[in-house]
Amino acid sequence: MDYDFTEEQELLKNSAKGFLSKECQPLFVREMEEDAKGITPELWQKMAELGWMGLMFPEECGGIAGSYLDLMVLLIEMGYSCLPGPFMSTVVLGGTTIMEAASEDKKQELLTGIAEGKIFVTLALVEEGASYSAERIALKAEQSNGDFLLNGTKLFVPDAHLANYIICVARTKDGENKKDGITLFLVDAKSEGVEIASLSTFAADKLSEIVFNKVKVSKENILGELNKGWPIMEKVLQQAAIAKCAEMIGGGQRALELVIEQVTEREQFGQKVGSFQAVQHHCANILTYLETSKLMTYEAAWRISEGLSCEREVAMTKAWVSDSCRSLLALAHQSVGGTGFMEEHDLQLYFRRVKAAGVYFGDSDCHREALAEAMGL
Amino acid sequence: MNFEFTKEELALREELREFMKKESTPEMLKETEDMGDIYGGPEGRKIIKKLAAKGWLTPTWPEEYGGIGASEVASYMIREEMGYHGLPFGFIGAHMAGPTIIRFGNEEMKKEWLPRIASGEVEMALGYTEPQAGSDLVALNLRAEDKGDHFLLNGNKLFNTSCHIADCHWLACRTDFEAKKHKGISMMIVDLDSPGITISPMVTMAGWQTNEVVYEDVRVPKDRLVGEKNKGFYYLMAALDFERMFPLGRYRRIFDEIVEFTKETIVDGKPLSKDPLIRQKLAQQAIEIEATMLLYYQLAHILDKGGIPNYQSSMEKTFATETAQRISNLGMDILGLYGQLKEDSKWAKVKGKVEKYYRTSVVETIYAGTSEIQRNIIAQRGLMLPR
Repeated sequence: MDYDFTEEQELLKNSAKGFLSKECQPLFVREMEEDAKGITPELWQKMAELGWMGLMFPEECGGIAGSYLDLMVLLIEMGYSCLPGPFMSTVVLGGTTIMEAASEDKKQELLTGIAEGKIFVTLALVEEGASYSAERIALKAEQSNGDFLLNGTKLFVPDAHLANYIICVARTKDGENKKDGITLFLVDAKSEGVEIASLSTFAADKLSEIVFNKVKVSKENILGELNKGWPIMEKVLQQAAIAKCAEMIGGGQRALELVIEQVTEREQFGQKVGSFQAVQHHCANILTYLETSKLMTYEAAWRISEGLSCEREVAMTKAWVSDSCRSLLALAHQSVGGTGFMEEHDLQLYFRRVKAAGVYFGDSDCHREALAEAMGL
Repeated sequence: MNFEFTKEELALREELREFMKKESTPEMLKETEDMGDIYGGPEGRKIIKKLAAKGWLTPTWPEEYGGIGASEVASYMIREEMGYHGLPFGFIGAHMAGPTIIRFGNEEMKKEWLPRIASGEVEMALGYTEPQAGSDLVALNLRAEDKGDHFLLNGNKLFNTSCHIADCHWLACRTDFEAKKHKGISMMIVDLDSPGITISPMVTMAGWQTNEVVYEDVRVPKDRLVGEKNKGFYYLMAALDFERMFPLGRYRRIFDEIVEFTKETIVDGKPLSKDPLIRQKLAQQAIEIEATMLLYYQLAHILDKGGIPNYQSSMEKTFATETAQRISNLGMDILGLYGQLKEDSKWAKVKGKVEKYYRTSVVETIYAGTSEIQRNIIAQRGLMLPR
């Protein structure tokens, strides 16, 4: 057993930390919350130059062929800094789907574009049912003269406002088995009939509703095979869920630091607040939530990296990290006190994000149910 | 990173499981449960001596003292497996006294005691707690007067589990009555059948026994002093850093049995395990077990790297024992009215075991450092908060 990062991963972590501490300060985070785009081209380009977008892509597609664990290291730091922008949508959702499903030509074109910071991709999966399960995919794609016509509405689509391409998860066959009959379409975001409307969200995630109104997509733009898109989505969602966990533990780490800053400075009753056992026990619980979340995330990410079965671990981890990091933030607010309730204090940034993160790619209840299934219950 | 056992560790686990399957007897399993998982009863001694002969009781010790040069991960795995399969897993000699003797004892003491501990021949009882010294251990007061060629001991110990079945007392006592509290403590090994020792049973709500031990003019030879005089508290603390851990195996086993129960129990034509609420609760418990195992093997990993676990052992102990209580409570909740039935009832479910675990689990968050003490340690040593 080995619980440690490799030397290279330590380097990656430190360079990401250094870069983000300069380029992504809390003031910038707040600006981007208000900004329509939610990212600046300058920052995105710098990230591309550091090789972050192509971290996991093959070298022939402009990537550096890193592992999923490497990506996790990076995502932790992104979560730590509340990095705004479409990294999760373009790289983790879009990039992974393309890597898993696209033809060699398309991989070459799209992954290279993503790695260079020139192409944005998002994944339109969730619908009104607000669930990541195959049963809730209803948006129809019907064959018509050799092409497909997409009709329906997708919700909670991340960063669609920036996207050049939308991977639309559509139903092409409706039978007993809902996991069968799902197809992934690569849709040019400028296609006729695509209407994107932004949703206003409490954690400032840039989410959209996308209405597909008779959007024509040629069969060349199917990613993977007709009707066989769901197994790919399952894989992508596993990776996305753990990616979200990595962001959450990064955020949890920062929240803990904000707590320690406050309780080692502030005095009440003539003593540092952090010397009171009631506060110390909150802090101990925070650290326990954080460390267990880290270990669970590392283990799941390691299994993904190694290509091992990871159904159980992903379900366990997403459920545990979502709940624990939320509890962690609640204790953090309690420990920091009134100061932390102020908008100008950074804790609130994390408090909002962690709650939103908890429901992305399956909330704890749904992952516990998935685990129950995997346990043979 | 890597979260899997090595091939060697997996092979060892297989061999160990085979051994336990072959050697476990109903009498040993019952004795272990009745005694609260400690070592020293006649049935336990039979099987543990055989297990120790393979080097599995003290696998990480130097070979000359009975080890097999195994990794700490392997050693932690063995203890976890022993707990899971109903063997005694609470050893004072092998897990607390022995490592301290290895680190701080002189050559003679090593030669005399380590092989006998490693072979399972000698078991010790922990002699720390006193009526006025629980969480505040430095308040311990059992007096050991230096009489030239021996120490003369007088005082009381309380909650000293194992004393009624162990051979020796691994005793913390006061040898300097003027010095600052933590600077006047020494560690000694005392034969429990020495004249002047009276052991009185204290029966716990879990049914098993712990003890009050009274020392009246007990003579202890000088060669029973561990390391240097008055350095005992330092040894004791160092031992805790190295050895504080809680294998969840016993509770992991009862959890698995509860899971099986829900699969086999039909309610309204459907297995109980199909009930959405039950599924949520069992899944949550499985998650907490996984987190415990990660914390547990992290300690072994730190040791294997040559480090010393610090606040991490407090975290593991607290998380594991609180998980143990939740497992037991969940089991009782799932069994409902049946949960209260004892093992001799014909209607008892899961062999009537759950209520025993429910009772026993109460003390897990209290002994070996309460959860509150552990949280202080996590905050003060893990986060450097002021004392």
